[in-house]
Amino acid sequence: MAEILFWLLTALTLMGALMVVFSKNPVHSVLWLILVFFAISGHYIMMNAQFLAIVNLIVYAGAIMVLFLFVIMLMNMNSDTEPQKNKWLKMAGAIAGGSLLLVLVAALKDTDIKTRSLSGAEGNIGLVQELGKVLFTDYVLPFEISSVLFLSAMVGAVVIGKKN
Amino acid sequence: MNAIILSAIWGVVMMYTGVVTKKKSTPKVVAILGILLLITANWLEYAGLPFFNVHTGGMLAFTSFGLVFNLVAFTATLFYFLLSGSDMEDVGDNVADYFALIFFVLCGVSIATSFASLLMLFLGIEIMTIPLYILAASDKRNLKSNEAALKYFLMGTFSTGLMLMGIAFLYGASGTFYTEGLNLGFGSLTPMVMAGMVLLMISMAFKVSAAPFHFWTPDVYDGTPTVFTSFMATIVKAAAFIAFLRLFENAFGKMHSEWQLLIAIITALTLIIGNLTAVFQQSVKRMLAYSSIAQAGFMLLAVFALNNTGKQGLILYAAAYSLATIGVFAVLIKMKDYTFEGFNGLAKYQPLLAALLTIFLLSLAGIPLTAGFFAKYYMLVAALKNGQMFWLVIVGILSAAVSIYYYFRVIQAMYFKEGKDPEIHVSEGFKTILLVAALIIIILGIHPDWLLNLLNN
Repeated sequence: MAEILFWLLTALTLMGALMVVFSKNPVHSVLWLILVFFAISGHYIMMNAQFLAIVNLIVYAGAIMVLFLFVIMLMNMNSDTEPQKNKWLKMAGAIAGGSLLLVLVAALKDTDIKTRSLSGAEGNIGLVQELGKVLFTDYVLPFEISSVLFLSAMVGAVVIGKKN
Repeated sequence: MNAIILSAIWGVVMMYTGVVTKKKSTPKVVAILGILLLITANWLEYAGLPFFNVHTGGMLAFTSFGLVFNLVAFTATLFYFLLSGSDMEDVGDNVADYFALIFFVLCGVSIATSFASLLMLFLGIEIMTIPLYILAASDKRNLKSNEAALKYFLMGTFSTGLMLMGIAFLYGASGTFYTEGLNLGFGSLTPMVMAGMVLLMISMAFKVSAAPFHFWTPDVYDGTPTVFTSFMATIVKAAAFIAFLRLFENAFGKMHSEWQLLIAIITALTLIIGNLTAVFQQSVKRMLAYSSIAQAGFMLLAVFALNNTGKQGLILYAAAYSLATIGVFAVLIKMKDYTFEGFNGLAKYQPLLAALLTIFLLSLAGIPLTAGFFAKYYMLVAALKNGQMFWLVIVGILSAAVSIYYYFRVIQAMYFKEGKDPEIHVSEGFKTILLVAALIIIILGIHPDWLLNLLNN
């Protein structure tokens, strides 16, 4: 049962991701992207990482996607205003990207990843309670310091957004 | 830890300064007080008197190398505030916020000089760069400033993405974020480690604008308001180099021979491309942007060599390069014409300014009796001591020779060409501080050991 679900979700993720790239209409791309995020959240739930799954849905499928849609609607994109891309540039991009993919796949296809058992005894590792404990004990320093990062981003938003 | 906590706090203090007072000159005074406090606190920590006893879980390691660099960075920031602080008032209304962002950058700098875990490296680099995106965009009505900010933001976030992917690969291969654990964990170079390391190398090379990842630099440095270019090109860049060196020394030091050739190629490309392109520039600001790429090539020699001489050299280089570039930029901000012609005949109207500018440019070119000479000397000696790839040293010497050409073009314009009065208005205080900066450069050029002995603590 779990295996069938896994392959279903994987197929859904890959198909959605491909459709994001191949859709002509940017709004369709965004909608496909939402599907990808949902499918990935499904994977998280299967790995018992419920908190991550919910956060992924709220932040990515929720907030960021709405932002994307807004930007696309505000930009008023149609084929006339779309800049024509150089044929050679496209080809060079495809070759470079393809080479990178080839190298990474060739290098990584038979590596052994140190997998730690996530199921069984440590079955509750992805729960909010466990996450909170780790976050406020072992990882409390990065947690606190990231507040400086957010503070500077907020100051920046005000500086750029404020009327002169 | 002193520097990290106090700089974050002082950033908040600067924000409130903007609320409490509407006078445009007050934030500068508060910021100078803050930076003096930071220097003192950092010095006390160096002397073994940390104010805070924070349980870092081994994620931060405060070594004399990092603390001495903090000292150099904060001192350079002090000079930057004194020389160019009042020019920020011309950029926009939110002067206090600009200072706040700079203090947040300094917080990131202190994290980047003391990280011992890849998580902290990521946070430090991000805290350093995100405020810079905003400072680049601070001249809101200027199209070039907007372009620079957007370009910097898109490229910067992309390279951060690469860094995160690299960290994920390394975590997958070793199961740890600690640099020490990474270094111990790798017996051999598996493809997973290799992929992670190369991705980290690319993203760090991007942050320090090494070729072939330098294409954003000229446009961003040119479009950003000149006051902020000065900060971006000096202190932040040097701090990114310290992070680069620390990362590759602590996490990949054991595999030095595996990645040395890669860094050697990047270094040689950076030196050649940076210097040759700088020759063809017509604007001094753009020339300085390319010169910063060229100087990055020299600093990369420390990462290439990965020995003690290189580490000493990097500290000296950071001090010499930051002070000299801040000095040149401080004068450049006052000019109306940024082309080489704008400097024509400056020596006749502003003899002291021209003389000090000459000292800064000579130091950047690496002429003896200035700090720049010993900085370059240490770098080349480090590369020689390393014993591998002698050709890189020759590339370094040849590029240093090329760099003399474009730095001397400014000197030649100031002294040997006729021009009309550029009408620069500078106070006596400005000249005095510039004189002190030039004196420090000359003193470091005679006694580099006065700075380097601090490392032996």
